Amino acid sequence: MIQFDNVNKVYEGDVKAINNVDLTVPDGEMVILIGPSGCGKTTLLRMVNQLETISSGSILLNGEDVTTLDKIEMRRKIGYVIQSNGLFPNMTIEQNMMIVPQLLGWDRAKKRDRFNYLMDLIGLNPDEFKKRFPHELSGGQQQRIGVARALAADPPVMLMDEPFGALDPIIRARLQEEFLQIQREVKKTILFVSHDIDEAVKMGDKIVLLRDGEVMQYDTPAEILNHPKNEFVNEFVGSDRVLKSMSLYTVKDLYKAFTLKPNFESKDIRTINEDTSLRVAISMILNQEADQLVIEDNEGNNHGSLTMDLLEQFLHKEIKGQEG
Amino acid sequence: MNELIEYFVKNYPFLWGYMLDHLEIVGLATITAILIGVPIGIYLTTNKYLAGTILQLASVFMTIPSIALFGVMIPVLSVINQGVGFLPAFLALVLYSQLPIIRNTYTGIQNVDPQLRDAANGLGMTTLQRLWKVEIPNAMPLIMAGVRTATVLNIGIGAIAAFIGAGGLGVVIYQGIVRANTTMVLAGAISVAVVAILADFILKLIQKKLTPKGAN
Ligand SMILES: Nc1ncnc2c1ncn2[C@@H]1O[C@H](COP(=O)(O)OP(=O)(O)O)[C@@H](O)[C@H]1O
Ligand SMILES: [Mg+2]
Repeated sequence: MIQFDNVNKVYEGDVKAINNVDLTVPDGEMVILIGPSGCGKTTLLRMVNQLETISSGSILLNGEDVTTLDKIEMRRKIGYVIQSNGLFPNMTIEQNMMIVPQLLGWDRAKKRDRFNYLMDLIGLNPDEFKKRFPHELSGGQQQRIGVARALAADPPVMLMDEPFGALDPIIRARLQEEFLQIQREVKKTILFVSHDIDEAVKMGDKIVLLRDGEVMQYDTPAEILNHPKNEFVNEFVGSDRVLKSMSLYTVKDLYKAFTLKPNFESKDIRTINEDTSLRVAISMILNQEADQLVIEDNEGNNHGSLTMDLLEQFLHKEIKGQEG
Repeated sequence: MNELIEYFVKNYPFLWGYMLDHLEIVGLATITAILIGVPIGIYLTTNKYLAGTILQLASVFMTIPSIALFGVMIPVLSVINQGVGFLPAFLALVLYSQLPIIRNTYTGIQNVDPQLRDAANGLGMTTLQRLWKVEIPNAMPLIMAGVRTATVLNIGIGAIAAFIGAGGLGVVIYQGIVRANTTMVLAGAISVAVVAILADFILKLIQKKLTPKGAN
């Protein structure tokens, strides 16, 4: 758990970068720090592992004030990933990834097992990549190694500063998926900086929206999108915020909420799987892909048909908090 | 031309002896200069104010004509009865090598991507670990370039050290001048040039060996 308690940061020259931040990152959750460029995301992140000093207030790591901990020891227990991957060009992939275990004095066999395990986790062949140097890898592969390096000594806490920010959209989306998969397995406590609201909605258990070093809203993605607290949040998440929030729900959420109409007779029928996101479902309706979309669960059972009307009712219920 | 070849063939053991002397003094001076200059260069990266001053001071040394520096050293070192010979030449060469070595070490470490330094800190390296594992290896091409410059420079300046009795290939040139023997002067000069080229080549190989595969 990471707790920020009335944290302030003033840089030299009276630049107030962080202003009275109170925040808790619960164990095993991924909290996304988001906001416009220069709002203090990186600063807040770097105060946790003391790469930046804390001007006032305190940051507690599992209940302990970080400033009372030994810096070097503490950093080895916190995974740190940066946008530019920060891989050392003079070291092989294996050496890069095993830096922290090596600093901690792990023996050879343990390091080798860990390397193989992590390479499997990020989907790269350990023997193929072990002896290669970072410049011999693609951007996506380098960033995977950067993430795996942060996980190397199995730290309970991870700090990630726009880890996928430098990648092209397709690779970025893939790495996001992969990392979510990894997180489901490893359940780290993660503070993750992003400037992309779609990434935040997709990845975050919760989202912190910052402006000029102040927390504007700290909520679940659905709450931020459906109930922005103020005009700034509203503007930041975009006028298509409700459409975005639809990616947080699946067809299953919808048919669980309502009793659906039986199908009517029609030739032009398409089925839609219950795990499909509502955002995709809406697109299918708007695209006029078929006269009728029939909801099917993973066992192949039919749950009636999906209509715009039904989606509207669902939105009404989720956003206004009442039955339509 | 024929005369020159004849001279080399005839005086080969004589030249060889002077060349070994030459290499000895230049080698010792350069190694000493590395042992002093590299740590200074590294230290300066942590102290920007001092860095400016020291680099300037080292540049000033470079502009002093070597013959004048030798001249200044004679009275100073005469106090300990070492006014001429090995010691003043050695000291002068060490001083001359400082600029390329300090400057290149300083620039090399300074030029290491700040993101790498940040990553090293974030992963929990101590300052010394960061230096050994990240900064020096990645600065190695530049540090070695400084060492090469210093070595070649010293081989040339070392020839002038003969004037204060330090021996080496300069003696051949010096005696050639005194005897008005052009062939001898040329033979000495060519030997110095060949030694410089060979030394640079060997150091290039060492540089390749010392530079980690991924760093450059
Ligand atoms: N080392 C520094 N010295 C002075 N000001 C800084 C420093 N680092 C960041 N800042 C300022 O602090 C504010 C927040 O910066 P940063 O945390 O990097 O924002 P973000 O990561 O959200 O883009 C900005 O106004 C930036 O100019
Ligand atoms: Mg930033």
